[in-house]
Amino acid sequence: MSDVPAGLPKAWTKMLEGLKNWSRIYSPWAIHFNSGSCNGCDIEILATLTPRYDVERFGIKLQGSPRHADVLICTGPVTLQARDRLKRVYDQMPDPKFVIAVGSCATSGGVFQGCYNVVGGIDQVIPVNAFIPGCPPRPEAIIDGVVKLLGSLQQKKVAEKTG
Amino acid sequence: MSMDISPLLKMLVFPGGLTLIALGLLYEYIDRKLVARFQNRVGPRVLQPLADTIKLLAKEEVIPAGVIPLFFVSLPIIAMAGALTAGLYIPLAGFAPSFSLPGDLIITVFLLGLLTICIGLAGANTADRFSLLGATRTLTQLFSYEAPFLLALLCPAILADSWQISIVDTSVTGHVWLALPLFIGFFVAVIGLMGKLELAPFDAPEAESEIVAGALTEYSGRGLALFRLGKDVELVIGITLVSAFYLGGLSNPLEFLLKTLGLLVVVAALQALFARLRIDQVVGLWWRIGALLALLQLLIVVILKGVIL
Repeated sequence: MSDVPAGLPKAWTKMLEGLKNWSRIYSPWAIHFNSGSCNGCDIEILATLTPRYDVERFGIKLQGSPRHADVLICTGPVTLQARDRLKRVYDQMPDPKFVIAVGSCATSGGVFQGCYNVVGGIDQVIPVNAFIPGCPPRPEAIIDGVVKLLGSLQQKKVAEKTG
Repeated sequence: MSMDISPLLKMLVFPGGLTLIALGLLYEYIDRKLVARFQNRVGPRVLQPLADTIKLLAKEEVIPAGVIPLFFVSLPIIAMAGALTAGLYIPLAGFAPSFSLPGDLIITVFLLGLLTICIGLAGANTADRFSLLGATRTLTQLFSYEAPFLLALLCPAILADSWQISIVDTSVTGHVWLALPLFIGFFVAVIGLMGKLELAPFDAPEAESEIVAGALTEYSGRGLALFRLGKDVELVIGITLVSAFYLGGLSNPLEFLLKTLGLLVVVAALQALFARLRIDQVVGLWWRIGALLALLQLLIVVILKGVIL
C-alpha cells in the first residue's frame, strides 16, 4: 500500500489510497482453484456464479487467468500433487491478492485430515484471508464470505484513518 | 506568449481524450447491463467499469519471463494511443470532428485495426501457449472481418462522393436513413463491428473456457487496464461511425445519444442471443457470406449511382 510516490501532499495521498481501496472493494475479480476437492464445493461456487445469484452486481467476475485475478477461491484439501500447483498459481497473481478457502476440507483438511496423500487445509500452503465452512457451503454463505472479506478491507481503511 | 491551446484541449479533454474514455466506460457499463438484463440478471453497478480500471491501474504489473520487456510495456500504450487518435476523426457527440482530412475514413478504420494488431503482437510476444493461441485467433479474425467491414462503410462514402467522415456525415443528414435502402451494408457493418470488438458470437480469441484469456493472459495491472480502455474507446468509435453513416448522420448531442444507444441495444441483444462461433466458422462466415454480401452491396450502390445520378 506504499506505492504512492513520496512527496505528494498528505491529503492527496490519503485521497489516492481511498480511491484505490474503493476500487478494490468494488471490483474483486476471482479465480477458482480446486486442489483436491470432491467437486461438491465447486458445484456450489458455479451455482454462485449463475444468473440466479448474479455476483456481477457486486463486481465479482470469474477470470480465467491468475494474472487478472484479485481473489483466489480455493476448494478442497491440498493434496501432495496439488501443493506445488497451488503455490504457483498463488505466485502468478499480482499484488494485492486475497485467498478464500471454501468448504470444510479447505479450512482444515476435513475428512481427509491425516490422509497419506494430503497436506491439510489451504492455510498449510498459502496465507488465507477468509475461511468459509460448510460441506459444501451454500452459495449464500460463499457470497457472505466474500462480502465479509471486502468489509475487512473497509475496516482496514478506517483503522488507517484513525491510526 | 499567446498560444492557441484549443487543439490541445480538443485532443486531451473534448471531444478526444478524457471525454472519449468517459464515454467508453459509460458504454461498457450500458452494454454489460443490457446483456445482464437480457439474461435475467441484475447486472453491474454504474461505476463498475471505472472501478475495474482504477483497480487494475493500482495493481502490480508482472512482467513474465520470456517476453521482450520493451514490447510488453509499450504495446498497450500504442494500442490506447491508436484508439484515442481514431476518436479525433469521428463526429463524437454530434459535433464536427476535431480534425478532418480527405480519406480519414481509411485512417480511422486502420487506427482501430492497430488496437487489434497490438493485442495480437502482445500475445505473440509472451511465451505462454494460451497467449500464442489467442494471438493467432485474434489476427486470423482481424483478416476475416476487416475487409467486409471496410467495404460496408465504403457504401455510404461512395454515395457521398467522399472518403472524409465529416462530409459523409453531413451528406446523409436529413435524408432517409441509409440503413433502409442499403440494409445489406448495414447488416454487414453491424456484424463487422461486433467482430471488430470481439463481442459474443465472435469472442473465440478470448474464449475463457478454452484458452484462459487469449492474447492478454499474461497481462496484469496497467497493461490490461490500457487494453480494456482501448476496447471501450473502440466500442464508442465503431458505434459512432456506423450510426453516423447508416442511421442518418449525427448532427446534435441528443441525436448522437439516441442513435448510438439504439445501436448498442441491438449489439447487446445480438450478444445475448448467439453462442460463440469456432474460429474456422468465423473465417468461413466472413469470407463466404460477409465479403460477398458487402461486394454485392457495393455493386448495387455503384450501379444505382450510375443509373440515377
